[in-house]
Amino acid sequence: MRPLIAAEVHKLRSARLWLWLLLASMALTALYVSLLIGFSDDPDTLTAPLDTAAGQQTLFAVASGGANTLVAVVAAIGITGEFRHRTATATFLTTPQRGKVVAAKLATYAAVGAGYAIACLLVVAAIAWPWLSAKGIDLTLLGKGLPGTYAGVVADVTIFAVVGVGLGALLRNQVATVVGLLVYRFVAEPMLTAVSAISDWTAYLPGSASAALTKVSLSSQNYLDPWLGGLVLATYGLLFAVVGTRVSMRRDIT
Amino acid sequence: MRVHNDPMTREPAARIEASGLTKHYSGVAAVDDVSFTVEPGSVTGFLGPNGAGKTTTLRMLLGLVRADHGRATIGGVEYRDLPAPLEVVGAALESTGFHPSRTGLDHLLTYTKAAALPASRATAAIEEVGLGEARNRRVGAYSLGMRQRLALATALLGDPAVLILDEPANGLDPEGIVWLRSFLRKYAATGRSVLVSSHVLTEMQQLVDSVVILHRGRVVQQATLAELASSHGDLETAFFELTAGQEARS
Repeated sequence: MRPLIAAEVHKLRSARLWLWLLLASMALTALYVSLLIGFSDDPDTLTAPLDTAAGQQTLFAVASGGANTLVAVVAAIGITGEFRHRTATATFLTTPQRGKVVAAKLATYAAVGAGYAIACLLVVAAIAWPWLSAKGIDLTLLGKGLPGTYAGVVADVTIFAVVGVGLGALLRNQVATVVGLLVYRFVAEPMLTAVSAISDWTAYLPGSASAALTKVSLSSQNYLDPWLGGLVLATYGLLFAVVGTRVSMRRDIT
Repeated sequence: MRVHNDPMTREPAARIEASGLTKHYSGVAAVDDVSFTVEPGSVTGFLGPNGAGKTTTLRMLLGLVRADHGRATIGGVEYRDLPAPLEVVGAALESTGFHPSRTGLDHLLTYTKAAALPASRATAAIEEVGLGEARNRRVGAYSLGMRQRLALATALLGDPAVLILDEPANGLDPEGIVWLRSFLRKYAATGRSVLVSSHVLTEMQQLVDSVVILHRGRVVQQATLAELASSHGDLETAFFELTAGQEARS
């Protein structure tokens, strides 16, 4: 498995997409944090005051939102690109056990996810620390339950990368996978979760399961316990990957 | 497992055997009960008009396309069961299987890494096909002929006992074709086998020792070039007689 992971890392490093989307994730995170802090004095704000534990946890949790969808896109492109650029032929000639290739991609992109998460958490710290101290608010990076939030963000973004690989393995088509991911995340699931009558059910959808990991409560939505949210999200990712390996990846490479 | 490096065991490792290979696409047999053997130390031409089923057959040999019936082995083993496939079989099936923003050398390095081969194999292979100076350029900027050479370099990474090439001369200039011909002759002369498909007969006449002619998914002839010459005159005549004959009957 180690040679296959080394090969995946080389594929990633020798094309620059990962870097552009990392920068985009960091920029998005910076935007979210700035909006949160900038509007924190607004009486209509939905977030808890930033001198409270809940407020500061929300601040760091935005790193998830900055990174998770984009890392899923990177991961999905990492696997569907094999079909789009027809490198799947050489990849599966080198490793005829196609499941091993999927497993190597899962491991590689999970690590990429953790990296994205840490980079975006650093962006939050770099913006929030000076800005809050200017406002006279003390931000203790290891206090107020923040380590739990960091762990939640890293877990969330890591698992989202797994979901991206899994969905890509299942669909194989790059455009369908990426468009599907974005439409689901930004249109389909928000519409479903807006229906409060079914919130006991929608709590198990991937986006809600993800939000449960970091417990950002910007709405009245029901969330699972963080551990259960992580488990549910990981189950989606691994289920896609297993079904994808057993069904789509076995299909002929023509 | 580098069996082919031992001259005593090279022969079995390099024999390609297809028996009864069949593949249907939406009810139509694209490849129908195809059997043939490629002997070590020879260059075998895999000939047939476009759409005869050459590519599908080659992909079945390599486990990329699942056969409906039949079996293909290389040195007695199915491709997917080879423990170190690149070191037994090198295949160049298309000139399009590259990420355009990756350099030629990076393309090769992804496969030496995956196969746990030394990186020096990638630099050696890219020199061998004459792309040494272009190795750090992105494949997106390569000409079709350069991509064909890079595909061949990918096939050479494991220094394999068997080469399987699908239309490798497509896009090569005349000089490139001459180079390819002498390269493949030398390769086979070391006791290895080469199976090379083409629909351009003139490329084949001076290259191959024997031919397998495919038409409408069926093998219509497997013969050495000498046998073909005595029965049909030259390769071109044989080809048209065999493929036209089949057409008249159907």
